[in-house]
Amino acid sequence: MTAVAAKPQTGAIFNPTAMVVGIVLLIILLGIGYYVSPTLGLAALIGIVIGGVLIGFGVHFVPVGGAPAAMGQAPGIATGVAMLAAGAGLAGLFGGAWAADQGLLIAVITGGIGGGLMMAITCMMVNFVYVFGMGIPAASGKVLKDPITGDSQPEYKSQGTEGHGLPFVSFVGGVIGGILGGAGGTLIYIELLDLYKATLPTVMNASAAQILPIAVATAGMFAIGLFLVNAVLTAYNITGTIEGPHDPKFKRWPRSVVASAVASALCGLVAILIVLI
Amino acid sequence: MTVKVEVIEGGIPHQKIMIAGLIATIVCLYLSYLNVYTNTAYFSFFGGLAVVAALIWGSHTIKVLCSYGIGTGVPSAGMIAFGSGVIAMLLATKFGNAAPIVALILAAVIGLILGYLANEVLNMKIPVMIQSLTELAVVGALTLMGFAVLITGSFTFTGLTTGSVTLFGMISMPSYQVSFIGGGLVAVAFLLGSIAVQHPFNACLGPGWKQDRMLMLTAECGFLSMIVAAVMSFALISAGAAIISLLIALIGWVYTYCQYIELSKRDAYAWLDAKPIPDVEGH
Repeated sequence: MTAVAAKPQTGAIFNPTAMVVGIVLLIILLGIGYYVSPTLGLAALIGIVIGGVLIGFGVHFVPVGGAPAAMGQAPGIATGVAMLAAGAGLAGLFGGAWAADQGLLIAVITGGIGGGLMMAITCMMVNFVYVFGMGIPAASGKVLKDPITGDSQPEYKSQGTEGHGLPFVSFVGGVIGGILGGAGGTLIYIELLDLYKATLPTVMNASAAQILPIAVATAGMFAIGLFLVNAVLTAYNITGTIEGPHDPKFKRWPRSVVASAVASALCGLVAILIVLI
Repeated sequence: MTVKVEVIEGGIPHQKIMIAGLIATIVCLYLSYLNVYTNTAYFSFFGGLAVVAALIWGSHTIKVLCSYGIGTGVPSAGMIAFGSGVIAMLLATKFGNAAPIVALILAAVIGLILGYLANEVLNMKIPVMIQSLTELAVVGALTLMGFAVLITGSFTFTGLTTGSVTLFGMISMPSYQVSFIGGGLVAVAFLLGSIAVQHPFNACLGPGWKQDRMLMLTAECGFLSMIVAAVMSFALISAGAAIISLLIALIGWVYTYCQYIELSKRDAYAWLDAKPIPDVEGH
């Protein structure tokens, strides 16, 4: 498995030129959005960019253990970043979609709670399996003391491992990540849904009630696509495993925020163009 | 600074697979246009063949990309392929007959920018990253378009969003809910494709990796997905056309499955044809 065999030594280095190019690209894409639709389209595009950034930033909080965690040799949930982010985000998106009729704020909060709840349940059951199934305590390998509870970590860490289980700070990080991811995914969905509901009746020459299934399905598909793009780009930023907000890799988040903003603006622009051309 | 874990030894070079996959996919997608000339849906199965061709290309691209330790697991490559692909494909359907070509170009642009973001902004520094993400986005878009053709017989926005409901067997009325996009079939196609494109390399990677075995598994996964999509197509196209798709998918799947088992036996050190646990009488 490549994830175990070799981890790229990217480190927390920033590439200033690429960051500037990314920001310029973002401004150009927003400019195109303003050009094709100064009011409705640009508002939706900005919402999509904010949602994408929330996803990209939120994924950094989620404790991802990967294959080593499955063997109890690294802390975190034993699967990849993309899978966890997709799970949390889609759970949030589905939660938020039910509340879509009650306005933007309530829907986004509902989406955040859905994602956070999913991550809370996952983290709890993961620790349940670690402690009672595999017989290992939760211990972080990256910090000496849990930043939230202040519990000492090294005494519980087995030799030759990077820590194991899910320390309290990772649990909290997972829930925060789920909330941000779910809220971001829902924000993208709601923005696109409102846009499609407003424009599709004229585009398809049909009544609002008739096009509702199309609007819901298209917005949902675009939201899922955008979510996966952002989640995988963030996964590439993390390269493998992360323990949570206390992990040194967490400091890489500015790279991911720029990448997510540009990727969301690009994909969001395509999603907006479908009703404007 | 990256470590390349495996190298491609022998087999068909990637460029050849890419060109062959691209041409076969586009040609198959356009062959489905015979549906319009003959005013039937009997040629929808070409969409399924386009899916298989695109998947074979895509799984080899994933092999090229994931040979570098990207550290995120193979499935993430399938997810980003279809995440960017579905966005390009949905917009491309608006362009009528030019849809496959537009999907190709649009997906390539999206993939190129995503590749740049991953390689430069996120500092991955993997030599094949930009090319691979470009290819994967195109594969995602064309695979979804293939599924759309297989299920609805069309690749235009109108064809994918408009279906018809027959009431009491005689009155036919248009419905947006009974359609590829409105009915949510696009979500099923999305996951059928993304799992089929990432599974073969995930299953075959390792020191004993053989190109022909992995590509045969890809074809098998493609035909397996085609069976499911052909069953779903009964809802949207005529039963005769759906049966043709289903038969072709079944024949293709049985053939590729048998071939894959043969290749697995060839590459295995030893194998034992284990029988089911026998029922012992009187116990």
